[in-house]
Amino acid sequence: MGAPVDLFAAASTEGAWTVGEVTRRARAVIEAGLPPLWVRGEVAGFKAWRSGHWYFSLRDKAAQIRCVMFAKQNYMLPTPPVDGMQVFVFARPSMYEEKGEFQLTVMELLSTEQGGLWKLAFEKAKAALIKDGLLDPARKRHMPKFPRRIAVVTSPDGAVLRDIQAVVGRRWPVAELIVVPAQVQGAKAEASVCSALNRIRRLPVDVLIVGRGGGSIEDLWAFNSERVARAVAAMPMPVISAVGHETDVTLCDLVADLRAPTPSAAAEAATPDRIEVLAHCTVLGQRLGRALRIAARHVVERVNRTGDRLNRCMDHRLDRSRALLTAHSARLDALSPLRVLGRGYAVARDENGRVLKRVAQLPAGKEFRLRVTDGEVDASVQ
Amino acid sequence: MPAFSEQLERLEAIVRKLEAEDLDLDEALKLFEEGIERLRVAREQLTQAELKVKKVLEIESS
Repeated sequence: MGAPVDLFAAASTEGAWTVGEVTRRARAVIEAGLPPLWVRGEVAGFKAWRSGHWYFSLRDKAAQIRCVMFAKQNYMLPTPPVDGMQVFVFARPSMYEEKGEFQLTVMELLSTEQGGLWKLAFEKAKAALIKDGLLDPARKRHMPKFPRRIAVVTSPDGAVLRDIQAVVGRRWPVAELIVVPAQVQGAKAEASVCSALNRIRRLPVDVLIVGRGGGSIEDLWAFNSERVARAVAAMPMPVISAVGHETDVTLCDLVADLRAPTPSAAAEAATPDRIEVLAHCTVLGQRLGRALRIAARHVVERVNRTGDRLNRCMDHRLDRSRALLTAHSARLDALSPLRVLGRGYAVARDENGRVLKRVAQLPAGKEFRLRVTDGEVDASVQ
Repeated sequence: MPAFSEQLERLEAIVRKLEAEDLDLDEALKLFEEGIERLRVAREQLTQAELKVKKVLEIESS
């Protein structure tokens, strides 16, 4: 550092630095002198490129710095920041040599606000779901009364599944529990939950429980993803969401047909209590017995009534017949020839029994029989 | 085995029919027998102890 610079000697092909040399050197100096650090500022001029890389400036009242956040760093964030947002970035100061620009290579980005980017992403996705009518209360479906198959999407080894299994086993073992394990946390959770939902979509399932225990908003993120929310909304069967705790409502909760505070509560909402159903069956059995007794009594009464009518009918006919008989016999009696003979008349008949009524039938010497009231005698014409 | 809900709905329909209509004895008996059988199956379903749990392995579907 001691010797004076020979300006003229440096201003030559051999002495001068190339632009590339300067930027490379500057970059080395910057990177050696400034370790990665947290920087606070306001986002401005944000632009997300097709490649997935984000470019923006951080500024405050005094200055601004160009920033880049590469796709491999930003893919874990729920949403890009927006201009004007106050953020913290953890970044490596560097030099973008091609443009000779001082820049921060951002490795982490946090909003300074409570909930930060997560909240922003949540609100954005929620607005999109509302716009498509997916949060409309009229879309909410009723739970089946007596579910045959209950599907559960959750982590296969967690307490969630154990709780649900215990409640369903106690209340409604009539059902079959179909467990579709999914990764509910971490980078692959969104895809894993979506693929589990996809599998269930094709199964004959009456009701679906999507569940996981509570966690930080980051832990619950898969259930705040618009993709998962849309997949839940598109399920052909009613969905109960038991994600997180009372305090943190997820998009999955909002879009589901029913939100349960805990996985156990979800299992209760999905099932009837078999004790109550058994009691109902007992009542039905009693009604069945009573109804049969009444039906039988009706039949007996009808038979009795019919018998009575038959009897009455027979009596009536007999009376009539008896009266007729008396009348007829009186008339018969009146007309009887025996009665006439009784009054002194006689009937003459030939040997064939033919009645002889005229003189011509009775020539002299004709023999015939004469019927009188108490018998017959032979007679002849003189 | 029919679904429990179908079983119960049919049973309820039988009880209502038996209660409401003036049936001849043959028909009433037939309904009663069917009702008793359905009641038996329904109770059996309700009192079975074991919950069946099936795990469907996740297949990465694109």
